[in-house]
Amino acid sequence: VSATISQSALRELVGGWIAQGKRVVGPRLVVSGVGAVREPPLDRGNESRIFYAPLESSEQLALEGFIHPANSMKEFLFPKHEELYGYRITGKGIELSEVEPLRAEQVLIAARPCDAAALPILDQVFNWDYKDELYNTKRQLTSIVTLACAAHDEACFCTSVGLAPDAERGSDAMLFDLGGSEYEVRCLTEKGKALFDGKLEASERVAGLLPGPEKRFDAEQVRAFVKDNFDSPFWPAQTLACLGCGACAYTCPTCHCFDIVDEGNIERGVRARNWDSCQFSMFTLHASGHNPRPNQPARQRQRIDHKFRIYPEKFGEILCTGCGNCTRHCPEGIGVLSVLTAL
Amino acid sequence: MSEQNIVAPASDRQEKFEPKIVAFVCNWCTYLGADLAGTTRLEYPPNVRIVRLPCTGRIDFNLIIKAFEIGADSVLVSGCHPGDCHYTSGNYHARRRWILFRELLQAAGFEMERIHFTWISAAEGHKWQEVVTEITEKTRQMGPYTSLYQVTDAPAQPLPVQGGELPAVRLPDWGGEGEEGLRETCRRLLAEDKVKVVIGYGKRGPVFITRPEDVERLAWNDQCLANLTVYLKRKEIRALGRPAIVVKGCDERALAVLERESQLDRKDLHVVGMACPGMGEPKCETCDVHVPRFADEVIGEADKSAAATAERWKALESLMALPAPQRMSYWATEFERCVKCYACRQVCPMCYCERCLVDKNRPTEIDPSATSKGNFAWHILRAFHLAGRCVGCDECTRACPVGIDLRLLNLSLAKAAEEHFAYRAGMDPKAEPLIGAYSLQDKENFIR
Repeated sequence: VSATISQSALRELVGGWIAQGKRVVGPRLVVSGVGAVREPPLDRGNESRIFYAPLESSEQLALEGFIHPANSMKEFLFPKHEELYGYRITGKGIELSEVEPLRAEQVLIAARPCDAAALPILDQVFNWDYKDELYNTKRQLTSIVTLACAAHDEACFCTSVGLAPDAERGSDAMLFDLGGSEYEVRCLTEKGKALFDGKLEASERVAGLLPGPEKRFDAEQVRAFVKDNFDSPFWPAQTLACLGCGACAYTCPTCHCFDIVDEGNIERGVRARNWDSCQFSMFTLHASGHNPRPNQPARQRQRIDHKFRIYPEKFGEILCTGCGNCTRHCPEGIGVLSVLTAL
Repeated sequence: MSEQNIVAPASDRQEKFEPKIVAFVCNWCTYLGADLAGTTRLEYPPNVRIVRLPCTGRIDFNLIIKAFEIGADSVLVSGCHPGDCHYTSGNYHARRRWILFRELLQAAGFEMERIHFTWISAAEGHKWQEVVTEITEKTRQMGPYTSLYQVTDAPAQPLPVQGGELPAVRLPDWGGEGEEGLRETCRRLLAEDKVKVVIGYGKRGPVFITRPEDVERLAWNDQCLANLTVYLKRKEIRALGRPAIVVKGCDERALAVLERESQLDRKDLHVVGMACPGMGEPKCETCDVHVPRFADEVIGEADKSAAATAERWKALESLMALPAPQRMSYWATEFERCVKCYACRQVCPMCYCERCLVDKNRPTEIDPSATSKGNFAWHILRAFHLAGRCVGCDECTRACPVGIDLRLLNLSLAKAAEEHFAYRAGMDPKAEPLIGAYSLQDKENFIR
């Protein structure tokens, strides 16, 4: 016996959340144009234009026909640009003003399991020493409804990092496509139960096992390799094509580095944090001009090292959920997967 | 000039609107002209704030945008009359840059009625008075500049023509011809030690082949999209020794520009040109360089007769058909997704600065944040630094992980270069670079 919901009831429910003033974020087709453009039908040609984005209506929610949105869900908890506080330089000194964290309830709907699993991983880094209020406030007010993956592409590798198309980690509730516009719903937490309370029907239909991508590498082997092969010729050989952009890090659900900047004029401004990436030469550049990671091989090695050795040794888990976005978005076809499969 | 002086709270601005005008003037003519207006007791509105610079040729185009960002309602740029420049030709250089920059600003959706250019000499106090009075009045009628970086509430509409929606030009069916020839050529080049490395396409992404027995890794198919000339500037690649590089006709144009800009010497590399029937990208639909023209050897065959066609501008024209505030709205919506990963910069063969202006932080010229201000500033900077240099390989657009059609900005400058100067970057390797040169005949009907 399972609990199910029809697609129309699900959309109605989503519309209800939007009407209640919740910020509802889900996969949505974004088309270039002026104003809020009405979405054309999804097809092979525009699949890459699916983004996790705030939904203005439940009709915008895209539930099938694509593998993974172009971005990740982290930006709704850890935005690309976030103001920390304001400052004003007066005759007498400096006045600071607090920036209030956004206190709106948020539902992330139809998240991919790899994006949902990233959140408990990020929780650790935002709480191990300094408790990040801006992140935590948003996190507490967020519910995550995951849609199990019915399909995968050649960039997907969740099974290699211990996850699966139906991994429950990080989700408050999970949806399984039963076909015929019906979804099985598994409520995993109190938050999840509250969202679907009274909206589910009992059914005999139960979701079958979902085929995941083939296992592509062994994470433990990767950890052992990066530990012992800091200066290996493997790195320069594998990463020659890397041009040093941040497309991999910025579309990654787990990359969380940021830079702090002051922006304003001589009188006032804001201190803000912006996403940063270890792939930029500026990331490690010292004021003296010395750069301890002088080239792209060193920066690519750092990315793998951090994800598969440093983070697991510190927090006990891999900083990668196998979503494949780095591989999909690398202009030169590199990504974590190509490096690790070459290992 | 403090921000408080310039920016009044929005409510005040509605009630009694006093235009704020920022004038960037040269030290030798217009500044003295303005001074003369004062000493001869000519009255003119106090709405203008003067920023004095050595020469109009020295006025960074970013300043015009910055003025709007901090609240200017109109901007005036003024310098010496042609022939009068204290530095002989600074104003001629400025004039050529403005011709191009205006086209970019139009494509980005700035209200061009708010940007004025004049020549005012040290003796023309009266002209200064007239110009300032007129601009102030005109701006007062237009009202405050409120559409800057704003999303309009105009009815939703997609661009009529988006990239890749042109009437398909019939291209020969793709069969991957030339792959064997390519491998053979590269095997020979490496075996004869003519080159140390072949920069080519692999099954997935670029490969760097150093041994003749590895040439099987080279591929030639309809996925060979990247413009590999970007690798010629990279230290790790240079360290490998004399390269052979695989180029398509479109990529090859980058080599012509880079050589003209002294970034490479053709003697130091071997160019393997691939005749290309098209990769199915928007640029391929109007391509007129299917066969590389200057390569050391060309492999395969493709239609050489394709002619340049005005269809190239179609996507741009559909953007330009919108009113300015809607064009700005289009970009504001698109740039909202920009995360500043700088993939557009990194894949560009023309972006070879050791340190990009956006990475300079003492002082910060471009806001590093991915806010609307920081994003507009970055994309305008990127596009304009490519004025007359962009070869239209569209790598920036292909690389963008959030799918912003950056091509449109590049097209606006390419079209301006062609219309005003009959210039196409990388088509004629002997042609003088567009920016950096000037002509006494450059049109100036927009300068008062």
